[in-house]
Amino acid sequence: MQTKGRFDPNSPQIKAYEKELAHQFVREGTMVAFPMCLPGMTSPITHDECRITALDIDSEGHIYGGTSGRQAHLFAAAFHDLTGVVLDAGVVPDGTSSVAVCCAKSRVLAFVNGARGGRAIAIPEIDLAQDWIQEWGLAPPVLQDLGECVPREPVVHAICDPSRSTVIGITTGHLFTVDVESGKVVVIGEVSGRGHLGMSSSGVFGQDEGARLWHFDLASGKIRRAAVDLPEGEWTAALRWSCGGDTDQLITADAAGHLFSFDENKGFRSLGKAHLAPVGPMAMIPDGRLFGFCGPEMANLFCCDRISGSVSNLGVAASVLEQRRYGYQFGDAVTGPDGEIVFGEDDNDGHLWLYFPKIKRVTRNL
Amino acid sequence: MKPVRYNEERDDLDYLFDLAEMVDDPGTSGRASQCKIHYSFAPSMHDGVLYMATHLSGPPIDLPRYSPWYSWHDATRCFRGSALLAFDTRNDRVLWWDTLIPKEGCRCLLHDEEHGLLYAMSYPRDHFIIYDLQTRKRRDVGRISSINPQALFLDKRHRVWTSSDYGRLVRYTPETDRLEISPGLLAHDVNYQSGWHSVFYDVAPSPDRECVYASTWCPNPHLMRIWPNEGEWPRVEDLGPATQPRDPTFPIDMFTDHCGGLTFAGDGKLYYVASRWRDPKYNPMPGSGKELQGVVWRLDPQTLAREEVTLLKHPTGVANYVSRGAVDHNGDLFFGHVGNRPSGIFKVSMPAERKKKNAHLPIRMWG
Repeated sequence: MQTKGRFDPNSPQIKAYEKELAHQFVREGTMVAFPMCLPGMTSPITHDECRITALDIDSEGHIYGGTSGRQAHLFAAAFHDLTGVVLDAGVVPDGTSSVAVCCAKSRVLAFVNGARGGRAIAIPEIDLAQDWIQEWGLAPPVLQDLGECVPREPVVHAICDPSRSTVIGITTGHLFTVDVESGKVVVIGEVSGRGHLGMSSSGVFGQDEGARLWHFDLASGKIRRAAVDLPEGEWTAALRWSCGGDTDQLITADAAGHLFSFDENKGFRSLGKAHLAPVGPMAMIPDGRLFGFCGPEMANLFCCDRISGSVSNLGVAASVLEQRRYGYQFGDAVTGPDGEIVFGEDDNDGHLWLYFPKIKRVTRNL
Repeated sequence: MKPVRYNEERDDLDYLFDLAEMVDDPGTSGRASQCKIHYSFAPSMHDGVLYMATHLSGPPIDLPRYSPWYSWHDATRCFRGSALLAFDTRNDRVLWWDTLIPKEGCRCLLHDEEHGLLYAMSYPRDHFIIYDLQTRKRRDVGRISSINPQALFLDKRHRVWTSSDYGRLVRYTPETDRLEISPGLLAHDVNYQSGWHSVFYDVAPSPDRECVYASTWCPNPHLMRIWPNEGEWPRVEDLGPATQPRDPTFPIDMFTDHCGGLTFAGDGKLYYVASRWRDPKYNPMPGSGKELQGVVWRLDPQTLAREEVTLLKHPTGVANYVSRGAVDHNGDLFFGHVGNRPSGIFKVSMPAERKKKNAHLPIRMWG
């Protein structure tokens, strides 16, 4: 059976389609895929051990993260000043899945699951602020295993408290805290251990059974189950929260891609809907725009502009600077000091993807 | 889209069947259409079956072009998937078909006959796929990189080899079920290239199966000889550029600078086709000959000496972009060519002293 094309190449529909195709990759801003090494000088983290699933950023703008795969690695990265480097801080013995990295005040704690359970691992301070163009020098860091957080329960997520002296984490059944300085783990109580944690001004919110959130009050140390009802939506999947905003700027999404902001005093507010679901990592930049990935297998970047009220499709990630690469799956995100976003690629040979959003035009009346 | 076979009795081509119709994915579906087979013909010697898997790029019937990235999430437009079809060459009939890779095309295919497995590379996501012929189940082992390699090959230990887009060998080992990347790079021009885009274009096994000969899908492709059965990682011998010098300050058209069609003939020598083109500085090519030529070369594996054998001649079009080469049971050479409409096959009749009966054996098990 032979078939010939049935279309008018000059029709408005076909011209519009051609225009769409011409902008199917990163329609706004610039993506840079950075390899997991000092480019040209060291080898990157092994291909099948380099799914980047956890990121955080410290007060210096240095990024710490963890990978998943055949072995979990922890790493540190910097992209400002004379840096441009990713350092492999080491392999976590028997670890296969990094679920959270928390840049605390005195050191970084990572939470890694594997054959020896869900463990807290301390990464020492790494001197990234060097001249990585000309001359550098440092000893390989030594990871410190702080032990299993809750016996026989994998860690699900963890975040720092506002003082960055305590980490609050959850396993599949419990909430725990870690004193960053001493490394002491305290199990606070039972919670429904699903999804990521969100930090508000009063404490931590996590996904409870049913369409509700539990709340952990930092001042009293008490857990309140079923503290908040989630708005109408599909709350069947594990929750994610955006990062990068202030503590009163929590944003999440339901399983259908509906986006909601959450303020513990005002409740939830609908922000629109991403064009694909599920919604993956999201990060907010200082002007209030939220960027994230949505869709399975081949995710699309989207932008939620809370001022204009629009949610737009920015296409598939692609990098033509530093490394030429398509980006399909992403595991976590942080917002950098200058409003750039760093996405961790959750794929074989994962890269750190720096996204520089398009600068919005400002009209000045002089 | 029809698979084509050279018929030696008629000295002509047989157009076998409409593949889209056979796999129940008609061109009128509104989805991206079944349109071609890339390097995805793989034989099965014990039963005479030829496996073939389709690639993508044909647009839906009412659109001028198709992008798998743009339409990935569009159920009405997205390519249904690479169709794997088993064709019984002894009885000229299609035995069965299956979807090899949903939503994606198959760039290249390999058959490990002893293990009953097909190996494939998906496009565009560049995932390594294993298909069990007994259970007819596929397994996705994961992503390699971004630029598709155009060939897979098998070593004596049933390990499968290909390449990443930064010019490294990729090895799949069945015992460990793991994809590993080599520390070393494939051959490329170190004067101005980094190894990026040095993915395999074509790989031919030596008759004794101790090594393979390969070219890359990269401007200024180098020929190389690789010894996969030696050492932790194979020795890669750079046999030098396959095509002429050129201006390295401007990126040449990839349909101009090309090498493919690697095959051993009955005389135990490697034959391949490399492009040659008129260049005012590097290759003035006097006379009124074609600007673009397809040159058949013969390489002696013992001495590595090369000699020009002949030019491929197309009556109206070009002959510089040969995809694959093969030798038949009589010892004559055949080269698949793309770049003209329709695509075609060149036959190079070999002189008697370079022929051998059953020269195609042992047969190449990958596309």
